Amino acid sequence: MHMSHIYPVNDYGPLMPGLVMAAVAIFHVFLAQFAVGGGFLLCYFQWLSMTGRNQYAKLFVHGYFKVLVMISFVMGALTGVGIWFTSIQISAPTIGEMVFNFHWIWATEWSFFCLEIVAGYCFYRYHDRLTDKAALTLLVLYTFAAWASLFWINGILAWQLTPGSWVESRSIADGFFNPSFWPSLFFRTIVCLTLASLAGCVLVNMIPNLDRPAQQSLVNRAAHLMAPMVAMPILGVWFLMAMPPDSRGWVLGGSPAMMLFFMISVGASVAIGGYAVIGLWMQRLYINGATATLLLLLAFGATAGGEFVREGSRKPYSIRHVVYSSGILPEEVAELRRIGCVSNDPFPLMHEPGLPNETVTLGAKVFRRQCAVCHTMEGSNAVAHLTESWDADQMRMNIAKLQQTKPFMPPFAGTPAELEALVSYILWVQDDRPSEYAVSEDQAVLQQIAKWMDEAGTQAATVTSMEREKR
Amino acid sequence: MNIFPFNLEPSLCFYVVVYVLTLVLHAIFMTYVLAGSIYLAWASMFPGKTAIVRARSPLAEVLRDWMPFALSAAITAGVAPLLFVQIIYRQEFYTSNLLLGWRWMMVVPVLIVGFYLLYVVKSKLISQWSLAARGAVTVGVAGCFLFVAFCWTANHLLGIDAARWPDVYATGAVVSSVVSLASRLMMWVSGAFPVMCMLALWQLVYYRRRATDVASVDRQHSGPQFVSEIRVLARMGLGGLALSLMFATGYAFTLDAQIRGEFISDGIVWAPFLVVGGVFQATGWFRLLKSEGDSFAIRVLISVGCLSMLVAVGFLREMLRISKVDLTVVNASVKAAAGVGGFELFVGFTILNIGLMAYCIRLVNRRTTGE
Repeated sequence: MHMSHIYPVNDYGPLMPGLVMAAVAIFHVFLAQFAVGGGFLLCYFQWLSMTGRNQYAKLFVHGYFKVLVMISFVMGALTGVGIWFTSIQISAPTIGEMVFNFHWIWATEWSFFCLEIVAGYCFYRYHDRLTDKAALTLLVLYTFAAWASLFWINGILAWQLTPGSWVESRSIADGFFNPSFWPSLFFRTIVCLTLASLAGCVLVNMIPNLDRPAQQSLVNRAAHLMAPMVAMPILGVWFLMAMPPDSRGWVLGGSPAMMLFFMISVGASVAIGGYAVIGLWMQRLYINGATATLLLLLAFGATAGGEFVREGSRKPYSIRHVVYSSGILPEEVAELRRIGCVSNDPFPLMHEPGLPNETVTLGAKVFRRQCAVCHTMEGSNAVAHLTESWDADQMRMNIAKLQQTKPFMPPFAGTPAELEALVSYILWVQDDRPSEYAVSEDQAVLQQIAKWMDEAGTQAATVTSMEREKR
Repeated sequence: MNIFPFNLEPSLCFYVVVYVLTLVLHAIFMTYVLAGSIYLAWASMFPGKTAIVRARSPLAEVLRDWMPFALSAAITAGVAPLLFVQIIYRQEFYTSNLLLGWRWMMVVPVLIVGFYLLYVVKSKLISQWSLAARGAVTVGVAGCFLFVAFCWTANHLLGIDAARWPDVYATGAVVSSVVSLASRLMMWVSGAFPVMCMLALWQLVYYRRRATDVASVDRQHSGPQFVSEIRVLARMGLGGLALSLMFATGYAFTLDAQIRGEFISDGIVWAPFLVVGGVFQATGWFRLLKSEGDSFAIRVLISVGCLSMLVAVGFLREMLRISKVDLTVVNASVKAAAGVGGFELFVGFTILNIGLMAYCIRLVNRRTTGE
């Protein structure tokens, strides 16, 4: 069979590559969703201005759009490109599969992005000379294009977690309108509106020469965009129900880290929603710049938590049933167990000096190929620390049956000798990297490893549990 | 048909054509920003001794005013070729990205800095700053875009040099030949000037004929100043054209002799486009240099020449790159990609969105309050 190309792996020191990806992704998602929601907010305020419902609304529209352009057009667009670059750095096979399967969807999204920029820039440059109707038309087109961008990208992102019937049919429609598409789209749209509303509250407080009643009237209007938050619990439950059972299990307690981030996201959303309902609508309170900024930061926390959960709950895959988080494809595992996962790796080891022998060197290469996307050796999510309570035999068995040891881990995809080399490398690091290090050459050890690997099989635990459910 | 890219497998040919056309669209905006930022840096550092200093000339005003949008357009237009390059050259592009590592990742923050500095350059605030401060900012902007140009050039050269990948990973030496990289980089940088000059020519004429929101440009569009600016553009256009030709020749000599031979024999079909493009542009710029004004016909001549050269260079660039990849792997991968579906969706929505974009532009031209 044709095996995937082996890419070079970069070392990020104590940071695991996934963290780098998460940082860029969260920042971009926050800005992009702010840009989409900003369009809705501006349309609403332009309408308020045109219908005479708020005399200060026009002032707000012009000020807010400048902020939107300076933040969204610059940072939003470039961090979007940044996500692509970062994805390549972290897992080229993953982004490669996404682009391969959905490049025309992405190209369609691009055409909407072009419309977004043109409509937005026309408004930005000429808004003070446009008729009200023309200004509203441009804002509506801008908003339509920005939301359409969300629509298209949402389909690709949702596919990563819930490819649904695409796995069998390979139909682009099945992949795009996958089980979590609609709850995800509606949920994200509400997040967009909330972010724009909170950013609007911050901005209202920054408009010079605006008295308190005027500010309050604008704040209360901006808060209207938080109304859809009442639907968030229903959409959240819908999304959870659409998730694969194993992924849902991790979010709801199976993985402490995942549940913690999930709770941060829920807690922050409840805090924002509570303030919106009690403070801004029922008591019609005024919200000052500091409070609005704090709420916006909470929203950032909620976004970060939500994105972490979305990324993390896909494990052991980066694209469910298509690519493992290690970048290895499920159908390659059996072959890699036969020929070895690093036998065709042309790249030398660079970041581990003083390796004492060939076995440990091989182990370091296996670590780079199979573990380095999500783990470091001694930094964050460090393998040396995660395994420090295991003895050598336990380590051999746990890695050989990795998908059973931890169901969110992919199966080991290498030969028994490579697994033994990986164990030697981990033990060598745990022993403080001595210059001389004896390794086991006992054939019985390799035979035992092979037996454990055969017992565990070559499929992910999620696949075997699915088969169990079917039976 | 033995003409590149039509001699390729149908699927690959299709993706190469789409890639090159979207790349040309990106290049039009990108070159405006790259050459424009270099011109502004030069104009700030060397203001000249004329009545209107270079940094306050109509050309500089137009560039300052439009460069943020042009960068936005360059980034937006750049998304499409970035998408298709991953379909055609998946292994090569990803590997060179990874080998460039932090240098490649720096492209995004550097572009963000450059973007915000463009807004600083456009603001009224900067006119109150000292010459040194203004110079530092404009040189900083040009530096940002030159760094990005360097990264793309290094990425491209690394992508077509698979034999060096393990060595580059081991040593971190991403540049194998300074001469090769420098000549290729300079070919693009100098080639950016004729395109920027072509666009700026249309803009200056537009501002001269219509009431404009760039008041200073309006004021300075009296006859002699306008003619002087056109001549500046003509000199830059001609100079850029000559230099890019020189550096392209230099780059060709850095290629392996066999590859150069194949490149010349296979690429000869694109030579007429290059020659005609070059002649059109040179003729147009010479006419502008010698005459007292411009004409629509000259502008069209220069524009057609520019586009002709850009398209030809785009295809020649890919011809060389495709000669370095494993065609069996690429053909299989691209053929499979062509079968995933969604093209009709793209065409339909693109037509709709082009219509809506045209409507936006029409709207701002007609629906103004006249204030």
